[in-house]
Amino acid sequence: MRSGLNRRSFLTTAATVAGAAAMAPLLSACGGGSDKKAAANTKEGLKAALPAYVPNANAVKPDIASVQGAGDAATDPAYLSYPASPPTSVSGVPGKGGSYTAITPLWGTAPPVGNSFYQAMNKALGVELTVKPTDGINYNTIIPTMTAAKKLPDWINLPSWLNSNFNTGGLVGTQLADLTPYLSGDNIKKYPNLAALPTGAWQHGVWGDKLYGIPCFSTGFGIPGATFYRRDILEARGITADQIKSADDLMNLGKELTDAKRGVWAFDDVWTYLQFAWNVPMKWRVDNGKLVHPFETQEFLEALDWHNRLATSGYMHPDALAGDVSNGSTRFYSGKTLIGGGGLGAWNLSDQQSGAAADPNYRRGAFNAITADGKGTPVIYMGAAASMISYLNAGLKPAQIEELLAVANYLAAPYGTAEYTMVNYGVEGVHHTRVNGAPTFTEEGKKDVQVTTYSFLAASGSVISNPGGEQVTRDYAGWSAANVKYLTKPPFWGMNLSMPQAIASADAAQNVNDTIKDCYHGKKKVSDVQDAIASWRSGPGERLKQWMTDNVLNKYGTGQ
Amino acid sequence: MSTAAPKRPAGPARLTWRTRLRRDKSLLLMTVPAVVLLLVFNYVPLFGIVTAFQEYDPLVGVWHSEWVGFDQFQQLFGDPAFWASMKNTLYLSFVQLVLFFPIPIALALLLNSVVSERIRNFFQSVVYLPHFFSWVLAVTIFQQMLGGAGVLNQFLRQHDIGTWDIMTNPHTFALLVTSQAIWKEAGWGIIVFLAALSAINSELYEAAAADGAGRLRRMWHITLPGLRGVIVLMLVLRLGNALSVGFEQFLVQRDAVGHEAADVLDTFSFYYGIATGGYSYGAAAGLFKSVVSLLLIWGANKLAHAFGEDGLYRR
Repeated sequence: MRSGLNRRSFLTTAATVAGAAAMAPLLSACGGGSDKKAAANTKEGLKAALPAYVPNANAVKPDIASVQGAGDAATDPAYLSYPASPPTSVSGVPGKGGSYTAITPLWGTAPPVGNSFYQAMNKALGVELTVKPTDGINYNTIIPTMTAAKKLPDWINLPSWLNSNFNTGGLVGTQLADLTPYLSGDNIKKYPNLAALPTGAWQHGVWGDKLYGIPCFSTGFGIPGATFYRRDILEARGITADQIKSADDLMNLGKELTDAKRGVWAFDDVWTYLQFAWNVPMKWRVDNGKLVHPFETQEFLEALDWHNRLATSGYMHPDALAGDVSNGSTRFYSGKTLIGGGGLGAWNLSDQQSGAAADPNYRRGAFNAITADGKGTPVIYMGAAASMISYLNAGLKPAQIEELLAVANYLAAPYGTAEYTMVNYGVEGVHHTRVNGAPTFTEEGKKDVQVTTYSFLAASGSVISNPGGEQVTRDYAGWSAANVKYLTKPPFWGMNLSMPQAIASADAAQNVNDTIKDCYHGKKKVSDVQDAIASWRSGPGERLKQWMTDNVLNKYGTGQ
Repeated sequence: MSTAAPKRPAGPARLTWRTRLRRDKSLLLMTVPAVVLLLVFNYVPLFGIVTAFQEYDPLVGVWHSEWVGFDQFQQLFGDPAFWASMKNTLYLSFVQLVLFFPIPIALALLLNSVVSERIRNFFQSVVYLPHFFSWVLAVTIFQQMLGGAGVLNQFLRQHDIGTWDIMTNPHTFALLVTSQAIWKEAGWGIIVFLAALSAINSELYEAAAADGAGRLRRMWHITLPGLRGVIVLMLVLRLGNALSVGFEQFLVQRDAVGHEAADVLDTFSFYYGIATGGYSYGAAAGLFKSVVSLLLIWGANKLAHAFGEDGLYRR
């Protein structure tokens, strides 16, 4: 008995040791990637490849119109209600009966294969489109096995943040079809709904001066995030967003709002989005023709110093200081924290519902962009105008490509049209019914309709719409309109860069970023960060900058 | 532990391979699933070690990645972050050895002295339970109780007594993680020792008691010698695993105390290798760790044999 037990525990322990040996290589087989060449576009080539922009005459008029900013910046149009009788934007059936396969990432539960929604969509599209929603979490590892075997489906979505994993720059032309002859310039007018997508979004699908990708959910307001606050609680105390004009104002707010004995702290993490108030560059700045990394700037150190002071001031929630991000929204909903940074994706109906469950008065607000000293013009850096990009297989014949582009045109029908209703809500009476005018899923609809399955192949531009949550739509649209004038494109915006692995690791600057986090959590001093930066600069930082200068800046410029 | 075991038959009575196979058929069959498991999840992935000598690119695969020889290791040994995590690992391992290792033994002895079976079963269930929690949950419970906004500190705050920074203090992090490990795993660790205790011949106790040996003397002369083999075995395994102090526990708390206090070899492989796409770099760190672990377990086993114990296997 005894020796048997010992042998067994030896076996399991030996397995652990062997497992440890194997762990790193095993995990390393799970995706990620590198690229041997730098892909970017020339200014003239890009211009020639991009489609013309023709606003859609059939679009439903928004309740709150889009507000134009500088360059391509514009707020998303907002709708307070859903059109009672959706207009049509596509006449006839787009397809000619071809059979195709399509793969899109799905973050959620896959609907049953061959369900009634798929059937209805195929009928409406006039093609036999076999959609295969694929686990979004493992998408980065699933797709490379397909590309390695050269077995991509006819139509596939490749999210732009995974471009380096997929080596999209290397797939275009060989496995992904060149759409330039079909869509560049006035050619796109054949597909009016696609022509209504903003030019900036198409830019993300251009590789080596040719157009390959179709953008989904394009927006002129793709910004990383904002500093949110509990509007209900602050306004009850007579504080409104327009009173906050500088970093000092925020710090004073911390003092006023923190009541640790009651378990209330003014701040959660704000660093990620607030640092730009100090005019910290987004990735790069070009000074006198030379690249400057944020780590090299005085502004960066000043921003860090303020956040370090905030962390040690006692105005930040202890759990936030302990790096507990996952409960951040719970703290915000329950009023344990009142100010926190976050992505704009948080500002929607489901957030309102979750917040109201914790506190019926819940209302999310966002501070306007500020400058740290309260002087000058604030800046908000623009992110991608579209990050979900779909591609067609290079093996398709021209007639097939045209058929699928016609299908894409259907899928890209604007908000509120009959086609949009079909793609997003299925068939009325089967998949959805109207409740107070808003399309609401039936049980069958909940089960079968996965909106992103088709929308990740092609979709109209983003809109703000929260059926049943008018206040949220008004708040978000109002904030967007007030801040769109600050939107600025950072250098290399929309250039589809891809870096070799060693450079990407240098770019990640793990050690520096770890120290930065420790600093804005109050555990390290700014001088510690300076030390980490100094050692990064002398090695990886220098190599990164050299690579960017030689392969991107000197060859293609900043893309602006 | 070897005292009661029969001596191995020496020499000539050798059976042919076939006869032995027939004799042990059912036993061999029973080991097949474990062997398959080992093969599939431990031996086959060993092939991935080659990536440590490459600039591995998942897109082109192992066969077409560039060979770089010992470049990754050269870079690794020149990386201060690597040595910092090495130092943390050894330090944590030492603290856990001193503070954690004796506790399951003591608990087993205590539990063994409880006469009532009901109380014993109840106690056993209570101390086993935390083992089945994930580290995320365990750390959350600690955070809720002892964290800056947790039960303890909120109580202190409301009574105007200064707060006590337990969860985010890098200087006492080793004690924190060891306490967490004790809370979570000590109960589970007693199983082996309980099994060893139950195998001690109870007649020995009766005889000793009849001879007038008290509680302590019986423990010293019967219980502990009876446990010695298992204790040494566990110690050997612990030493062999000295470089594996855990992964999730540190991953979850890394932001709380900062990377300098919390990075151990496994999290180093993750953050500096996998998370930033430097797979080969992470593989090199993992391989280095495994080689050192192998040497450690071999050395500890030698030592056990030198002291006349069985160690991992009988000599």
